[in-house]
Amino acid sequence: MFGQVNVLAQGQANFPPSVEDFYLPSIAPWGAHNSYWFTKITFMVWLAVGILILFFLLSYRNPQLVPTKKQWFAESIYGFVRNNIAVDMIGHQGVRFAPYFTTLFCFVLLTNFFAIVPFFQISPNSHIAFPAFLAIISYLLFNYVGIKKHGFGKYFKNALIPPAPWYILPLLIPIEAFSTFLVRPFSLAVRLFANMFAGHMLLLVFTLGGFAMLNATALLAPVSVLSWVMTIALTFLEFLVICLQAYVFTVLTASYVQGALAEEH
Amino acid sequence: MADDQKPPSAGGPGDVPSGAGQGWTALSYLIAGMLVWGFIGWLVDRWLDTSGIATGIGIVLGMAGGIVLVIRKLGTPE
Repeated sequence: MFGQVNVLAQGQANFPPSVEDFYLPSIAPWGAHNSYWFTKITFMVWLAVGILILFFLLSYRNPQLVPTKKQWFAESIYGFVRNNIAVDMIGHQGVRFAPYFTTLFCFVLLTNFFAIVPFFQISPNSHIAFPAFLAIISYLLFNYVGIKKHGFGKYFKNALIPPAPWYILPLLIPIEAFSTFLVRPFSLAVRLFANMFAGHMLLLVFTLGGFAMLNATALLAPVSVLSWVMTIALTFLEFLVICLQAYVFTVLTASYVQGALAEEH
Repeated sequence: MADDQKPPSAGGPGDVPSGAGQGWTALSYLIAGMLVWGFIGWLVDRWLDTSGIATGIGIVLGMAGGIVLVIRKLGTPE
């Protein structure tokens, strides 16, 4: 870490941060360039998976009627997702999706949260591959659920034909098809990715900008303190964005499942 | 558990997605309308060698379609 500060203080870090800064060096093989099989990002994703599995297994291994602290925490997270997302959006039958929504919520929240944890300081979700894959899972889920409930023909008829007089249907059906089957997964992925990418970029700009000003001229050096104060303020803003995006991703998935399950429009 | 007793609200015909979901649905209809019919208009432009007039008509049509969809699907509580 002190090495890192030294590098920064000597102005060796490139000031305008670029997309390159999101591609961290490889861990195995150590330090190799252009090898992205196992990087810090990969490590963080597996770590998040491990933490979540261990946390929920351990807190439920010996469930008590009067919950212990850990059990209470796990139950509150599950209860929050079940009552405030699954049941609120989908209704009674939403309870059977609550385990998936809880997993999704916790995974997105934890991987997002790495963005402001010291020494991690970047979220895997700032690479589009991870949000994209989560979006694909949600996309398959709501289509599968809809087809299973209504049958193939009726599901697509429900999804594509809005309640409108026949003469404007030709205008509306392409819009429906586009917004249901193309925009949904795309916007789900891009929203999460862009928020985490922009958040990391902002923190980089203000942190590195502070060092850049410190190294520039004596006149600018005091301003670097302002830049770092901004970094701290933005970290709190990041925390807000992290929670909000995890919530939004889950709520939208729930809303799509609800749409697929709804009877007629 | 105790708070499982909420009235079942799903599956009813008048069910609309709540809150944020409704907002995103409306926004995506408006944008998708312009994109889809704008794109179709652009294709017509290339086909007939017109310089953008069909794209314009397409975008306006798409806006209208998007608004109709928002009104039809979200604006009429039954």
